[in-house]
This record gives sequence, structure tokens and C-alpha cells, in this order.
Amino acid sequence: MNHNKSYIPEDIAGKLAKSFLRNPLTIVLGISLLLIGYLALEVMPREENPQMVVSGSTVIVALPGASAKEVEKIIVKPLERKLKEVKGVEHIYGMAMDNVGIVNAAFFIGQEKETSNLKVYDKIMQNSDMFPKGAMNPIIKPLDIDVDIPIVSIAFYSDGKLSQTELYDKVREIQHDINGLPNVAVTALKGGHRHQFNIEVDLNKLTGYHLSMGQIMKSVESLAYNVPEIKNRTKDNQIVMVGVKNALETAKDVGNIIVAQYMGSPVYLKQVAKVEDSYDIQNFKSALISKRKQDGSMMPFQNQITLTVSKLQGTNAVIIAEEVKKNLEKYKDILFENGVSYVITRNDGERANEAVNELVMHLVLSIVIIAILLIFVLGWRESLIVTFTVPAILAVTLFVAYLSGQTINRITLFAFLLSLGLLVDAAIIVIENIHRHYHSAESAHIPDDELMVKATDEIGAPTNIATLAIIMTMVPMAFVGGMMGQFMKPIPENVPVALIASLFVAYIFTPYLAVRMLKRPDHSKGEH
Amino acid sequence: MFDKFENLVRTGVQSRFKRNLILIATLVAFIGSILLIAPTEIVKAKMLPGKNNDTFNIYVTLASGSSVEQTKKVTDCVSSYVTKEKNVVDTEVFLGMGSPLDFAGLIKGSQFKNAENVAEIVLNLTAKHEREEPSYLMVQRIRPIIQGACEKIYPDTEISFVEPPAGPPTLSSIVAEIYGQDAQGIKKLAYKVEDVFKHTKGLVDIDVMEDEIYDNFEIVVNSTKVAKSGVTIKQLNDILYLAFEGMNVAVKNSDKFDDQIPLFLSLSENSKRFTKKDLNSVRVKLSALRLMNTSGMMVPVTEMVTIIPGKSNPMIMSKDLHQMTNVLAETDMVSQVYPLLDARTEIIETFKDEYDVFKTGLFDLQLRDKKTGQTYDLVWDGEMKVTMDTFRDLGAAFIAALILIFLLMVIYYKSYTLSGIILLGSFLSIIGVIVGHMIMDIFTTDTFFLTATSLIGFIALIGISSRNSLLLIDFTKSLMHEKGMHKAEAIAYASATRAKPIFLTAVAIMLASTLLASDAVFGGLGVSLIFGTVAAVVASLIIVPVLLYMSDLEKHFHFKERKAVSIEEPI
Repeated sequence: MNHNKSYIPEDIAGKLAKSFLRNPLTIVLGISLLLIGYLALEVMPREENPQMVVSGSTVIVALPGASAKEVEKIIVKPLERKLKEVKGVEHIYGMAMDNVGIVNAAFFIGQEKETSNLKVYDKIMQNSDMFPKGAMNPIIKPLDIDVDIPIVSIAFYSDGKLSQTELYDKVREIQHDINGLPNVAVTALKGGHRHQFNIEVDLNKLTGYHLSMGQIMKSVESLAYNVPEIKNRTKDNQIVMVGVKNALETAKDVGNIIVAQYMGSPVYLKQVAKVEDSYDIQNFKSALISKRKQDGSMMPFQNQITLTVSKLQGTNAVIIAEEVKKNLEKYKDILFENGVSYVITRNDGERANEAVNELVMHLVLSIVIIAILLIFVLGWRESLIVTFTVPAILAVTLFVAYLSGQTINRITLFAFLLSLGLLVDAAIIVIENIHRHYHSAESAHIPDDELMVKATDEIGAPTNIATLAIIMTMVPMAFVGGMMGQFMKPIPENVPVALIASLFVAYIFTPYLAVRMLKRPDHSKGEH
Repeated sequence: MFDKFENLVRTGVQSRFKRNLILIATLVAFIGSILLIAPTEIVKAKMLPGKNNDTFNIYVTLASGSSVEQTKKVTDCVSSYVTKEKNVVDTEVFLGMGSPLDFAGLIKGSQFKNAENVAEIVLNLTAKHEREEPSYLMVQRIRPIIQGACEKIYPDTEISFVEPPAGPPTLSSIVAEIYGQDAQGIKKLAYKVEDVFKHTKGLVDIDVMEDEIYDNFEIVVNSTKVAKSGVTIKQLNDILYLAFEGMNVAVKNSDKFDDQIPLFLSLSENSKRFTKKDLNSVRVKLSALRLMNTSGMMVPVTEMVTIIPGKSNPMIMSKDLHQMTNVLAETDMVSQVYPLLDARTEIIETFKDEYDVFKTGLFDLQLRDKKTGQTYDLVWDGEMKVTMDTFRDLGAAFIAALILIFLLMVIYYKSYTLSGIILLGSFLSIIGVIVGHMIMDIFTTDTFFLTATSLIGFIALIGISSRNSLLLIDFTKSLMHEKGMHKAEAIAYASATRAKPIFLTAVAIMLASTLLASDAVFGGLGVSLIFGTVAAVVASLIIVPVLLYMSDLEKHFHFKERKAVSIEEPI
């Protein structure tokens, strides 16, 4: 080789090294890489588990009075056959019970949600004539993981100052407020009791007064009748509105309804029934809570109302959960005055944030450990160079993940941890070769810049192929089907990006930093 | 150190005895490690291991037709144990409905729960860093206590423990789907399978997804009598519903409240209750209820109807248009694969008396009733199916990765032999993966499973170790080509020089993976990478040089002529 001529790089590695070695923009590039990575880390939505595309719809058709066998024959089976026509459906589950038939169509994992829902809806609507006489309108409930699964749940309970229904109304107020927060999709209440007038008729008294339930129903119905205001005009064309007030205001009014005449005297409703301004007693659902008190013992179970909050797809659970929490603080005083306490029983935002932060810590820790290892083997300057390349590579990967609409979740970060071991390799190989050339007597006469390019170029081809080989192993993983495939998707999505980034970063920045930071031993003095 | 290693490699590759020793040792290690999985089951496979959670749910299901008061009695029993646990921060009971939906509940149908006989209990635990006992061990500990005490309050009560899954959720760890033509036969078989599950070690929370049949009463309306009494059938039905279930007969608008306030009418709680669950009590109660006919006369309900005792109609389930029933079981800290195989063997053996058993598919069974001639299919679903699908897909991904690497190497080296050596070298890292899992299993308290993430690690390892071999071969080539070194010397020198970066990158991977290894879910990946890398280093620094020496390198490097002949070469 003629050493008077400058070294002509053959591989992309050497070419990159050469063009960036003395380029003033290299440092700008480095800083901006780190910056966009940091921005992506802050802006990207955080989740605990990766998003999965799971679609499915449930069709519910009620046919009052039909037995399970009848429902199976005239509702479930025809419906199953129709849904079988829909493309993309993996499984169809049918359930026939007395009075109601339920058919669930589960799509293949990965089928797009909106189109799948539309297909089912379309199919049912096109064939709405297939339902038997007397069947109620079909209810189609699409499955929506993001909207269906709440990220925050809060249990409210009262110390007794408020009645069940008053508590319900208070929580409803808060619910409306929280529903108004940005990116909140659905808020729902579980376990509350609504306001209701209960008229509980005593069967024995009914017999005693010779009354029937029908009479009572009619008299209550007739008095609770509501009409709009009556509009009339005076002689000089002025409008006069006459409102007809609802005859029933309180439970007492209801009790004073005359239901019949018995032996000449009126029979009031309160004589045969207990009338109460109370809650919906026919609702058998209820919710209870117990929590650990300050002294460490569990408080006795109390009735509670749980408010659940879910988020829109692709939004940041951490931010929404924080907002909900802040909003609750606003109500704390009012709630306290009314003796209402609340417990946050689920906070997926916080959980996601903790999981992400813990893994980011692991990542940083791993980088530090590798850096320390390199200090011992290569020396601290070399170690510093390799350590710099890691955040740069991760930054590029994060930014690409952000652009492709991914979220930061456990699996993304595991993909990073997995690639961490692989992506320092390119830089280690480059720096090791530079190190070897620096310390070998053969290359003593070659100038620094040229040596850098040569050392990088030398290992370029095998490193490229080797990295390509690792990428090749990751690619087939993207084709793993089912839920597990969806779950692991961040690995084949991110590891190849990280590996490609590692090549570029190693070829551009390792020689750039090496030529400025490494000290070349003076071979003429016999140093090594 | 590297000089010593260089000498070792040089003498090693040139001695026929040592070469054979190395190759035979490798073969033995390879077969040995495969044996650890398949017949001996020392290293156990599972899709994903349990994860330490801060929360879990307890589902309570009473026999169909049970009242919410009975359900409450059971949840009170469960709660009394739950509140004794010192790691519980708060607990919520949801009666007659599901708890706020979570990932597991979504698949298990928690959102559709709307009956008096169901309840869910949510337990929130202290943060996992401050808690010594992982949630899965806590579940394992309290499960027998709670089930033992609370399931016997009412017969057919099922209490199951639902933990947030580490990966994708499934209906249950083990699901046996029983397909057939007649409901009776399916049911009979389902309960027989349930029986087998109950005896199988490692299975808990066993349940047949089949409604219990309970006694009920049917009111048969005598239309002639109804017409003669001067009332209508609609009136009769309405009044019966109104009396016992109650109805909102009117609403009152209010500006104070968010909803309209309904006026709910029914018989009072005390006067409507039947004294006992028998025909007589029902008849007595109904006779007291009277309807007013068109002429203003009161007619007792019992005058117009006959009451006959009957049985409830159980729910009929079907999947993909075939009638079926599920038998569910959870696993108690073990992989679902082995109990499933045990249960399957027992089904094949013990069902022989009544059924002809045929094997279909990989594990599925077909059973033909010897008396009726009806055939039934038993298909495994749930986590087992997901596991098999995942392992199959990952296996395919692994083979695809091998082929892709092979093709890449063939393109690069234009030699099948060299590509084969690289492939073989990288395949050997499986020894490290399996042995690593065995070592971890010995040193951890609970079973350390070979999981889907272990396989991902293994796939990544192929890439890593093929890179090691590649760098080695490339350096050997340039040494022979540019420096004119002899084969053995070049291989030895290349191994020694490349040893440093190979060691470095290997240690980097191992260090990065140590933190992975501590994670419940990705532990398999971490362990695969740590131990697999060790095997990969050994493979590329010892076995690959041997294989290289045994191949005709000059030919494979496409040298036109022999560059040099060393004196050491024994011709």
C-alpha cells in the first residue's frame, strides 16, 4: 500500500468516518440527536402494556318469554350463520338463555377495529328482517380495549352524613367535570343508587280493603301525569302561560293519593302501602369498600360508588391520571364537609410511569456498568466514547418509534434493554480496531486522521454483514401471530432500528471523538 | 494471555485427537441439553411466568338462581380473610356485577356480569418494592384457605383468583372445549373431565361453564277460566310482574336531580316473600293476590292458573356454530403444559369403559359413547393454545432466521461450507440457553420456566454468535490473503486477536442482560442471553476454529493459488 497517498475508503464505514471526521456540523448532529431523543422520551405516551389491536362485537337480541331452546333455534343459530359471512372473524361464540340470545364475533388479532365493527353492524342491519316477531331491536356492542378498560378508578364513600342517593348525585357532579378533561373517553359509575319513590304495597291490607294492584297502578299513573304549559291569549292578544303543576312533589303527596272508596270513605295509598323517598330497591347491584386506616386496622365495609375513567386511544395515561387527580383535589373540601372520602383504587397512569421510570433506570444502570467494564479493558477515554454512542443510538431509536406512533411501554423498554447489549458492539469493534492500530508499530507512520478512517473502514464490511445478520434474526419475529405476536411487536419494531442506528453512530462519532480524545503513544520512544 | 490462547488454538486445531475430543464433547453437550427438556422435563416450558402485581381479583360465582343475599354471605366470608392480610391496602366488593374492567376481565367476560349470583372482589396490595411476598405466592397461600372456608357455605360455589396476566390474557390456563350433538352427553362428559381435573396435581379453580339446573315453578294460564272471569291474560301477566318484581309506573320530573325520579310500585318486601321454596307456599301467596275484573269483582290469581314445579333452562353455548361446553382450570404456579398432559393421559385411560377414545390433532381427543354411539370432541384452548401457537410461530421465526442468515452468508462468502460453519456455531448457543435455565431453576425458589421470551433471546443469540464467527473468519481471511499466513497460524492468530472484542461484546451483552434476568416476564430472555452468550463465545473461539481448520479454507476463500506453505504443515 502506498502511504503517501491518502487512504481511500472502500466501505460505507470508512466513507462516513472520512466525511464527518473534520466536519464542524458533526457536533451539532450529535447534540441534536440527543435532544430529539430526550424530547421523544418526554412526549411519547406512556403505557404499562403495549397496545393490542383486538376487535370484536357482541350482538344481543332479547325475545321476552322464549325459552333457551327457542332462543337458540330462532335467534342464535341464524345470527351465527350471518356473522360467519363476515370476513376476518376468527371465532363466533353463541349463548342462548331464557329470554335473550347473545352472539359474539371475535376477529383475528390485528384486524382493524373500526372496519371490523362496521362490518358486523352492516351485516346485522342488512339482515334485520331475520329476527323473529316479538324480538327487540338488536343491541350491538363493539369491543374497545382503550375505551372499555378504565385507567383510573376512584371509590367514594360517605360516613353517613349523606344518603346513598345524595352521594350518588355528588359523584355524578364530579363525573361530569372529569368527563370534560382532555382525552378522557368514558366515565362510568358502578354501585350507585338512584333516587326513587318506592310504593311498597302490603298484600294483606290490599286484601282487607278489597283492592287490586291494578287499581293502585292506575291511580298513581293518573296523578303523576305531566303536561306542557298551556298557552292562551287575552283579548288584546297578550300571551298568558298557564303551567299545570305536577300533582306529586314529595313522598307525602304520593301517600295521599286516593286509590279507592271503601264503605263510603276514601282509601289513601299510605293506608295500604309504605311510601318512601328512597333509592332503587329493585337494583340488586351494590359495591362495598374497606381500607386500611391510619392505625393499621381495616375499616368496616361501607357502601361505595366507583367512578371509572378511560382514555382515548394513543393518549398519555400518565397525564390523564394526573389531571384526574388534580381535579379531585378541587372537590376535596366540599366532599370533606359532606363527610365523603375517596380512595383511588386504580391508577394505571402512575403504574405505567413507575414501570417506565424503573426500566429507564435499569437502562442507565446497564450503560454505567458497561462503561466501567470498558474503562478496565480499553481505558477511560475509549470507554467514554463508547458510552456516548449509547444514548445517541437510543435517542435515534426513540425518535423513530415516536414517529411511527408507538408508545413507551414495558415491552418497548425491554426491546431497548435487549438491544443495549448488541448496539455497543459496533462502537466497541471500531474503537478496539482504532486502539489496536494506535498501539501497533506498523501504523506508527500513518497520520491520525487517515488511521481513523482506515481502522473504521477495515472492520466496516464484516460489521455491516454481522449487524445485518442480527437484524435478519429479528425480522421473522414480526410475523408471529396472535396476541403474543401483538404483545411482542415492539421487539422486532425497535431492535433493528437500534442496530442500524448503532452502525451509523459508530462510524460517524467513534472516529470523530477518537481523533480528539485519544492519546497516541509515541512509538519512537518505545511506548505501547 | 492472548499469546497463550493463540498457542492453545494452534496446537488444538492441528491435533486430530484434540479436534475429535472437542467435536464429540460438543455433540454430547448438545444432546444432553436437548434431553433436559424433552423426556426428563428438568427444564420446564411455559408461555410466560407469573408476575408480581400490586392488585388481583377474586371472582365469586354461586350456583345459578342464588340470591344476592346468599352471594353477600359468601363475599363476607372471603372479605373476612382478605382483611386479615397485612399487605392489603384496600379492598372493594362488587355484588351482582363485575369490578371495573381490566385486561383479564375483558377476556373472562367480567363486563357482562349482571346476575345476583356473581360478585367480584378487588384487592389492592402495598407497592411491590415494599412487599416481601410476591402476589402470586400470596394467591397460592390464601387460595386453599379461602376456598376451604367459603366454598362450602352453599353448594356449587366457585371462588377463583384472577391475577393480571404477564402477557396477553386468556380465558383460563386450561380450557377443555367439549363439542357434541346432544346437550346431555356434553354435560355428562364435561363433569367427567372436571372430575379428572380435580384429581390432577397442579390444577385449581376448576369450573364447568354450565348453568346449574335449579327448581322453579311455572304458572300455566288457563285461558278459558281467564276469559270467563272477565280479566285478560295481559292483565294477569302484568299484575304478577308488578306484584313480585315491581315496575316504575310513573316518573316525576325534578330540577333538583339529574334524572327523572321514578315511582316504583311493588308488593312490600315482607308481604311478598314466599315462606318456603315449595309448591304450597307459592300457591298460598298467589291465592292472596287478586285481580279486579271488568265488573269490579275480585278474582284470585289461583282461580285462573295452575302452578307446576319445573326445572330451569340452562344456557346453551356454542362456538363456531357448534354446541359446546368449557371446562376451565387454572394452574397453581406450574406450567399448564404438564398437568394438561397428565389429565389427557388419565382421560384416555379412565374413560375407556364408557367411550372409545381416539387421538386427533396434537393433543385433542375424540370420544365415542359406547352405548349411544354419539361422538364428542375434546379440544384444548386457553393458554395452552396460545402457548402452542406462540412456540410454533417462534419456532418458525427461528428457522426463518437461520435460513436468512445462511443466505446472507452465502451471498457474502459465496461458500456453502463457510456459511454452514457459521450457522452450526450459532446454533450451539442453545446448549447455553438450556443449561442456563437449569442452573437458574436450581438457584431460584420457584420453578424457572423456559418461556416465550427465552426463545426470543435464543433467536437474538443466533445473530450475535454468527457475528462473532463472521468477524473471526473475515480476519483469518485477510491474514491469509494479505500476510500470507498459513491456515493454522492464521486461525490461531485471528482467534487470539478477535478474542478481545468478542469477549468485550459478550460481557457487554451479559451485563446488559443481568437486569433483564431479574424481571419476572423477561427473566427468560435475560438468562438466555447471559448463558447463551457464554456458549456462543466458546463456540466461536474453540469450535468454529476447529471446523475452519477441517475445511479447505483456501478453496472457500477463493484464493487462486496457495499463498504460503508452512513448515508446520504435515503433508
